[in-house]
Amino acid sequence: MEEKILEFGRLLRKGGLNVSFSQIADALRATAEVGFQFEDFYHALACTMICEKADKPLFDKMFRLFFLTLPASQHGRENGESQLVSTENTGHIIELARSAEGIGQGRGGGASPALLLVKAVQDGNYSLLNQLAQLAFKSLGNPKRKDLANLEQLIVQAKVSIGWYEAVNRLERIREKEKVNESTYSRWLECLNYLEDRIKELLEEYFVITFGQDALEEIASAANLREKEFYQLNNIEIDEIRKRITKLARKLASKYARRYRRAKHGEIDMRRTVRNALKTGGTPVCLRYRKKKLSKPEIVLLCDVSGSVAVFSEFMLQLVYTIQNRFRSVRSFLFVDRIEEVTNYFHNEDIEAALQEAFSKANFSYSGFSDFGKVFTIFATKYLNSISPKSTLIILGDARNNWRSDERDFLKQISEHVRKVLWFNPQPQSAWDTEDSIMKVYAPYCRQVFECRNLAQLGEVIEAIL
Amino acid sequence: MFGSVEELQKKLAACDYLTDRHVATIVYLALKLQKPLLVEGPAGVGKTELAKVLAQATNSRLIRLQCYEGLDEAKALYEWNYQKQLLRLHVAQTQSKDWEEAKQDIFTPEFLLRRPLLEALSSEEPVVLLIDEVDKSDEEFESFLLEILSDYQVTIPELGTVRSNHIPVVVLTSNSSREFGDALKRRCIHLYLDYPTFERELDIIHLKIPGIKDCLAQQIVSFVQVLRKQRLKKAPSIAETIDWARSIMTLGSKVIDEEIVQGTLSILLKYQSDIDKVYNKVSSLLPEK
Ligand SMILES: Nc1ncnc2c1ncn2[C@@H]1O[C@H](COP(=O)(O)OP(=O)(O)OP(=O)(O)O)[C@@H](O)[C@H]1O
Ligand SMILES: [Mg+2]
Repeated sequence: MEEKILEFGRLLRKGGLNVSFSQIADALRATAEVGFQFEDFYHALACTMICEKADKPLFDKMFRLFFLTLPASQHGRENGESQLVSTENTGHIIELARSAEGIGQGRGGGASPALLLVKAVQDGNYSLLNQLAQLAFKSLGNPKRKDLANLEQLIVQAKVSIGWYEAVNRLERIREKEKVNESTYSRWLECLNYLEDRIKELLEEYFVITFGQDALEEIASAANLREKEFYQLNNIEIDEIRKRITKLARKLASKYARRYRRAKHGEIDMRRTVRNALKTGGTPVCLRYRKKKLSKPEIVLLCDVSGSVAVFSEFMLQLVYTIQNRFRSVRSFLFVDRIEEVTNYFHNEDIEAALQEAFSKANFSYSGFSDFGKVFTIFATKYLNSISPKSTLIILGDARNNWRSDERDFLKQISEHVRKVLWFNPQPQSAWDTEDSIMKVYAPYCRQVFECRNLAQLGEVIEAIL
Repeated sequence: MFGSVEELQKKLAACDYLTDRHVATIVYLALKLQKPLLVEGPAGVGKTELAKVLAQATNSRLIRLQCYEGLDEAKALYEWNYQKQLLRLHVAQTQSKDWEEAKQDIFTPEFLLRRPLLEALSSEEPVVLLIDEVDKSDEEFESFLLEILSDYQVTIPELGTVRSNHIPVVVLTSNSSREFGDALKRRCIHLYLDYPTFERELDIIHLKIPGIKDCLAQQIVSFVQVLRKQRLKKAPSIAETIDWARSIMTLGSKVIDEEIVQGTLSILLKYQSDIDKVYNKVSSLLPEK
């Protein structure tokens, strides 16, 4: 069992949880104390290995797959079949599947899965939802090992097979027509989320049972949000990253605050200390400190918001504006092949709303294809005068210029005007200067060019500007 | 200290603290492994209470260090009593002692102001050290805590090293108002306390308000549980459920209805914006008869 726990710790690390060696040692001691009765064993591991509540879902998933599913996989292989679908449900599912086949021939005969789904959601019938998940999963047949890399796609396929989108559509219409209240509607959404999660769980279990340890490791790495490429994120992950950015921001803020507080206690000011000591008969009871000035950087952000880069720009804006009082000033611009300042949208408190407004109102795109040359031209002629020479100008973009003219002289002009130019590129370094990427054309005018593909790197680069 | 998880759970219950087995398991592990217990969770779920009750159940003295921004070593560990020292120096001057002699006089335990941490480390009897709301302190203090919780000893330059006889039971609580360092978190056993389940909360109400009719208690608890599911700035805590139940008892009502709830909503909800949000939909949130 000790080995298993060590192995489990390694797997969690792969999934992005920072489990230290001492935590694993504690986990070993803890399980030795409470034994291996399932519940106690789980809590013994959880209370020693999880540091944050946010890490619990990943921990739970890995725990389930590693301690429950994986052992079943060896067992399953010996018996020559997988044991996924618990037998009690099978009969019912076959029945369901039959009615599902009916759907192709028109909506008349039997309950189509979409109708079943609508009903299950309305009734909050979780056992029916569970059966639908099984049905959806079964529709995929036996996915191959390599399909694991496209898990998201499989899930979509499975959802389509049970008429998910039709059902969602129907539910929306019912909601409008029958004026369904908010709490009921949120219960519906809970049901849908549950179903989606179940399908994913079934699939992951299938892969682990059929392909064993190796598949499990892939699932763990795929779950590692910190290392996940920005352009691969799905909506749920984007939400999760937003939360983590808020956390990251708080962490940075308090770190910076500490430095600032320390700075308030700069060097001892002898003159004032001695003068003050006169009050206490010449004994310097209170020391006086000289205040230290702390320079706050001025930031100008130029954010490419075309295609897959938009997510990254959005994260960066969220991060910077969450800690904006750590800067003397922040100005922000959005661009694709036009550029417009959006600083004013961020004057209100709600950053999320500001982002939405900026993205929907600002005029940054003419053709929809990035044109860095054009953007630098506009920026240099229209805005540069008003940019403080002390500022750090940060360009977020992939430097994919769609074969257009690079207008490097304008970037040169910009870089001579400001204190420094930094470039954050969300594409892997290996992709720079391939196809229409012209990173090396612009790089000479930047103090530094950073690769910034995932949350972990975002954390690192932001430290570079603080 | 405790032979089993069950024994601990019973002991806590005997001190009027009702809790789930898994909570008892985690507390048990913290005691057995002699590690600090970090209790996180929303306001009013009984984090502080757990530490108090743990002291009671283990016949230990409770020493409490309340954290706040700006809390420093002088307030948490020890401080020299400067005024007293100055006075003594003054006396010493008139007796024309030299500095070496005078120093012997003034850096003695007599002039030491013991703060909670030193108190806990130097205590002869067993203690439960409650470091309440660590998330309110700042990072500097956090790393200082980390030091103390690593080897349970401190060195006072003028007096030498103080080492605790027995490792104290340490309970840290946090509302997660600030992210704090991983290093400190890693050193702890984690307990996430959430709002209680319906059954558990019902038990607590019966325990705290002995005379209450079960049917009223059920209505009260289910309303509070529904309320917690709404998007509120601050959801009602256990303490608020208890207060609310008490006032409804005082009003003499046998059941709760829209009018009663609306009249007493401010006991449950502390923010006006939350009250406004809920006020008009009370009837749809009430349990069905
Ligand atoms: N499990 C329990 N059994 C009995 N009473 C409880 C329990 N949990 C909480 N209470 C009651 O709830 C009250 C509030 O708990 P406590 O002050 O410990 O909350 P807290 O989590 O420390 O809140 P805060 O974050 O605001 O400090 C306690 O005084 C106690 O009466
Ligand atoms: Mg408290």
